[in-house]
Amino acid sequence: MTGQERPTTVGRIENARTPSSAVPRALTRLVWALWLVSLGVLAFRIRNGGTWEVAGLFRIDGLTVVMWVAVTFFSGVVHSYSRRYMAGSRHRTRFFSRVFAFTAVVALLVAADSVVLFAAAWLAMGLVMADLIGLVRGWPQARAAASVARRYFLAGSAFLTVSLATLWWHTGETTVSGITSALGTVPSTGVLFAAGTLLAAAMVQSALIPFHTWLLSSMTAPTPASALMHAGFVNAGGVLLTRFAPVVGADPGFMLVVVLVGAGSALLGKLLKSVQSDVKRRLGCSTTGQMGFMIMQVGLGFFAAAIAHLLIHGCYKAYLFLSAGGRVEHTSPATLEKNVRAGSPGVVGAAVIGSSALAGGALFAVLTGKGTSLDGGLLLTGLVALTTLHAAWTAVGSTALSPAIRYGLVPLVFLPAIAVYAAVYVTIDGLLVDVPLGTSPAELTPVHGVVAAAFLVAYVAIETGVYRRSERLYVAFLNATRSPPGTVLTSREEYNEY
Amino acid sequence: MSTETTIHDSIEQAATAVAPVWPLHSFVTANPLAGFEDRPFYEAVRRAEGRFGGAGYPSAETFRRAYEEGRIDPDILAAELDERGDDHGRDGDDDHETLLTHMAADDGSSGGNGTADDGSSGGNGTADDGSSGGNGTADERVDALLTKWLSAFLDQGQAEWPMPNREAGFYAAFRAAARHDGAIPNREAIAALPETPVRAIEQVLSGRPKDRWVSILEDHLTALPGWTGLIKRRAAEGSAWQSAYPITLVEYLAVRLTLVDLFDAAVDPSRATADTRGGSADRPGGADAVDAEDGPPLEEGWLTAWEATYRERLADAVADESASLSERGDARPDAQFVFCIDTRSEVIRRHIEAAGEYETHGYAGFFGVPMRYEGYDADAAVDACPPILDARHRITERPRTHADGPSGRGCADERKGRADGGYAHGPRGRHGRYDRWSDALETGATLLKSLKSNAATAFSFVEAAGSGYGLALAARTLSPARAFDLVEAIEGRLPDAHEVRVPAVDRDPSDDGDLPLGLTLAEKVEYAETAFGLMGWETFARVVVFAGHASRTANNPFDSGLDCGACAGNPGGPSARVLTNICNDEAVKNELRERGFDIPADTVFLAGEHNTTTDEVTLYAGDVPASHEDDVERLRSDLAAARADAAAERVESMRSEGDTGSEAAAVSNRTAVRETERRAADWAEPRPEWGLAGNAGFVVGPRELTADLDLAGRSFLHSYDWRTDETGEALEAILTGPMVVTQWINAQYYFATVDNAAYGAGSKVTHNPVGNVGVYQGNGGDLLTGLPLQSVMAADDEPYHQPLRLSTVVHAPRDRVTDVLSTHPDIAELLDNGWLSLTVVDPTRNDGVFHYDGDLCWNTTRDDGGATASPEPTQAPPAADD
Repeated sequence: MTGQERPTTVGRIENARTPSSAVPRALTRLVWALWLVSLGVLAFRIRNGGTWEVAGLFRIDGLTVVMWVAVTFFSGVVHSYSRRYMAGSRHRTRFFSRVFAFTAVVALLVAADSVVLFAAAWLAMGLVMADLIGLVRGWPQARAAASVARRYFLAGSAFLTVSLATLWWHTGETTVSGITSALGTVPSTGVLFAAGTLLAAAMVQSALIPFHTWLLSSMTAPTPASALMHAGFVNAGGVLLTRFAPVVGADPGFMLVVVLVGAGSALLGKLLKSVQSDVKRRLGCSTTGQMGFMIMQVGLGFFAAAIAHLLIHGCYKAYLFLSAGGRVEHTSPATLEKNVRAGSPGVVGAAVIGSSALAGGALFAVLTGKGTSLDGGLLLTGLVALTTLHAAWTAVGSTALSPAIRYGLVPLVFLPAIAVYAAVYVTIDGLLVDVPLGTSPAELTPVHGVVAAAFLVAYVAIETGVYRRSERLYVAFLNATRSPPGTVLTSREEYNEY
Repeated sequence: MSTETTIHDSIEQAATAVAPVWPLHSFVTANPLAGFEDRPFYEAVRRAEGRFGGAGYPSAETFRRAYEEGRIDPDILAAELDERGDDHGRDGDDDHETLLTHMAADDGSSGGNGTADDGSSGGNGTADDGSSGGNGTADERVDALLTKWLSAFLDQGQAEWPMPNREAGFYAAFRAAARHDGAIPNREAIAALPETPVRAIEQVLSGRPKDRWVSILEDHLTALPGWTGLIKRRAAEGSAWQSAYPITLVEYLAVRLTLVDLFDAAVDPSRATADTRGGSADRPGGADAVDAEDGPPLEEGWLTAWEATYRERLADAVADESASLSERGDARPDAQFVFCIDTRSEVIRRHIEAAGEYETHGYAGFFGVPMRYEGYDADAAVDACPPILDARHRITERPRTHADGPSGRGCADERKGRADGGYAHGPRGRHGRYDRWSDALETGATLLKSLKSNAATAFSFVEAAGSGYGLALAARTLSPARAFDLVEAIEGRLPDAHEVRVPAVDRDPSDDGDLPLGLTLAEKVEYAETAFGLMGWETFARVVVFAGHASRTANNPFDSGLDCGACAGNPGGPSARVLTNICNDEAVKNELRERGFDIPADTVFLAGEHNTTTDEVTLYAGDVPASHEDDVERLRSDLAAARADAAAERVESMRSEGDTGSEAAAVSNRTAVRETERRAADWAEPRPEWGLAGNAGFVVGPRELTADLDLAGRSFLHSYDWRTDETGEALEAILTGPMVVTQWINAQYYFATVDNAAYGAGSKVTHNPVGNVGVYQGNGGDLLTGLPLQSVMAADDEPYHQPLRLSTVVHAPRDRVTDVLSTHPDIAELLDNGWLSLTVVDPTRNDGVFHYDGDLCWNTTRDDGGATASPEPTQAPPAADD
């Protein structure tokens, strides 16, 4: 160790020398600034209320502001994340400009009052997203996936255009606010048709079954773009139905259709997920299910709950996408069989489980007002109670834990979480006062009973695993979630962009 | 029966083209061209280009940059090209430019990847290729269908509802499921499939001439090389998953050929495209006819010159040091560290040596103990040894007891109050607390999973938990370094696994598993003796630290690829602890003393772990006697200083445009440490550390040769002293073990850099992890293998890793090396074929530098301290004479 002088260096490698681009940094700052502005507008609205209009073009109401805050938040997170995640990518500038363009288009969409502007923003939103799916130009599978998505989005836009044209023909109005206030109380065939096509557009956008293929084939998009897609893009289906709530809600019979469509996707999405082995397709199926649930809330008349659900789900799903890389575990076949709930919970346990479930449902009902009367809200409250029951049962059954944790977990953790949700919901419900039919619970019908029964059956089926006996069902699920062969990279050298 | 044997033999022969692929949770470095290592490098590359469509040499642009940066010596290049007859490059810059332009034009015309100009996969095209729109070609549909069933069958715990009938094996499970698969045309035929996979293969092959079988099977095995590589490895390894749900290449081929038949795709794709391939389909037994025709391409000359430039600088530096090497002093250092031979150790070793009177050594990171390690909390046991070895022992963890000595963290005052040292099993003991915490965490995870996966509870769960996710989303993105603090804070409160658990090293005679549990005294002595023998140790300091290494990254499917390669992609800490445990055993010490290792009574062995992402070295000082506590304290503070210096060097090499915060010219050590912590915890960081990128050299010799050099983290270092190895056994062990493994690592980095799509895993940005075994790009398809783009490239079109084949420099008598090579023809073959190079600095010949020139001959590039460059082949003497 003579080291007075600098040691001889052999073969040091220099730093990266790619010139940095100013676009990502500038857009990231801009989008967070927009978020701050949106927050300011939100605060102003909460204090002062009222809507601002640019006659015939824009109308900024509670829904607009809530969506502004949400979309700039998700977009800001995606921007900041991508500054590091996309470092060195040759598509970086294009990526950032597309993500920012998407944000701007959504901001425009939720503020649009003119139906022409609305339809144009809707189309632009789809085209920008399709472009993000095909961001890597030299990769044939990405191009194929983008064109699959583009076809779906064009169909969605066509549905929307037909619907808006029908409404214009029916009411003579060219603004969203004009149309929704000019609708007669008696539903006509024309309005029903418009509602049907609106629902179709929303189903395409939210990737509801049977329109889920574009979403499950969209994994060629960079991970942060997927996060934005699942936290922002698919939400537009719920926003659309809420914007046109008077059209959708005009006929209680039609609302039942919405409930069935939503519940079908909700249950099927989750079942489809159970056979998937890759992380992103699992997340995709889960989104299909969650969006189904959101649409079901619309069908039950809880438009504000649907908006709350899609925002909260956006946080959840964006998180899961952005952390999709952390999910490679070393497991053994034995862990598949591990059963947590060993034996019966005992008298004390049963009492804790039962009272937790009741407390969960009651807390939810009291704080949100859902399910306090005999209407569609009962269904939502029932699900909360079921979830609490399930959580409590699992916790109590974990005999490895000390009694304090087993019995205390659900009351101490889960019930406060319900309260947090209730706070979010109540806030959003309050902000949507000027949205027609913000919350207008549907009357209970036998159809609602069927849906409730379907959820219970699904719960039992999944817990006991009976549905897994059918090989035919397994294959059907697997095949229902495949991407078109052209979007799948089977020859690695075709991924030659790099 | 004979047909069946032929099929089995043909499959075995065809399967050599497929390189084994390890599941991603234990990322093992392997040469993607392992199946072609019996050929000269350029031939193997050309052959693989035809098979996988990948480029095998760096691009003209990469060469140009290296040339401009002075990494390719113009004189060496000219000499090299001259010798090869590519002599346009004789007269300086203009001509090298001409050559590069020529090379770039070649790259362009062949699409940068050899034969793929027709848009179909190499060797796998069919008559109707080119029309990839719509539902794809028959081939694409076969591939898409296969990958669907493979990803379902090979899933390791992602899907709640796994593929039915997996326990019956892939072929049987497929037969059962495919009956319902509407995507298969004419699927009634599935029911009529033969009982055994071999018969199914026979059915399809029966119409084809037998001399085409190997070629046909090879085409089908290499069509989805990611998945078939995984199957090959899984079948060979016989893991728990394989015994539960068996799958073999025979079964795979049976299913594939059945589908090819049903979809009416080409059974013999090479034959189908033979016209465009210069008749290569007529090759018998899978040998590529074109191989023999052309010599090495222009790129080979450039690559060789680049390597020679690096190697000469390295070997000359080593030879200079060798010449000035004084007689070994007997001064006893304050402590000795043993690090893995990993290139990343070189950096921290340099800084530790600068921080005090410390000596560092390099040894394979599994510390010579081939074990299957069953961690207390781990779901699955891992074979923590290099893939060239099989595990020979099982080591489990047991609770620490009083007999294991006091805990390091608690220090003296904590111990005073507790007679049992606080390790009792009762609920109050530290161990009980540890169990409680891990049980609580596990239950929490199970609860979340079950709430998320049930269709009736998932929605309300998301509503209840979603706001929390929103907060985490913002926090992890906007303040990534705080995420590190948070994890540290939580871990600080939880009992440390290393404090409450020790590896159970003693042999348990009552055990009757397939591998013996624990080690006998004789085995312990053997492993300790091997370690000190290979490293050539004569002196032992008061404290000897065995430091394994592990990485720490967030949101990184390739995290195990950054862990210890010698431990098969696992953290090296457990291996270090096992050897430490062995060496602290008094019986072992006594036995070692009898065998001539003079271990003083006051020498204490300590285990540690080097975190290669943050350069923190953690010492597991739980067993240190009170007499050595001061030593450990001093060690800790010096390690912290060394870490800060190493971090500054690391951050300098990692700075890129996307960095948050300081873009100032110099980074202070404190900011550097913080930056490494940020990288370790940041979920948005695709390049948490450079791993072994840059690796190019392997120096075998005493540390004195390299201690005064800054090798820039590009060289593997194995300690070796030729004077203590008179029989040459230690050298033999190093050249046949560590050198082979480092060559694999080097080849993996090389190929991932020259063609990241075909031989690497592509960009992380579009990765989709599948089945806990690998990653897809995008929507699915073939499994991507090897390193991701961000591991070897600073930017999409700017390699960070320098794609050079490994240059080994051995400090030993030349003839001793020749002896090893002559008794190991496989190693000599690898060298002769140019997969790596070998240079000897011979201390018995005036520290002359001898470069291995093939066929056991040597080139003298420098025969004494001077710089004479006169290549003169010297024939090896028939027998060793030293």
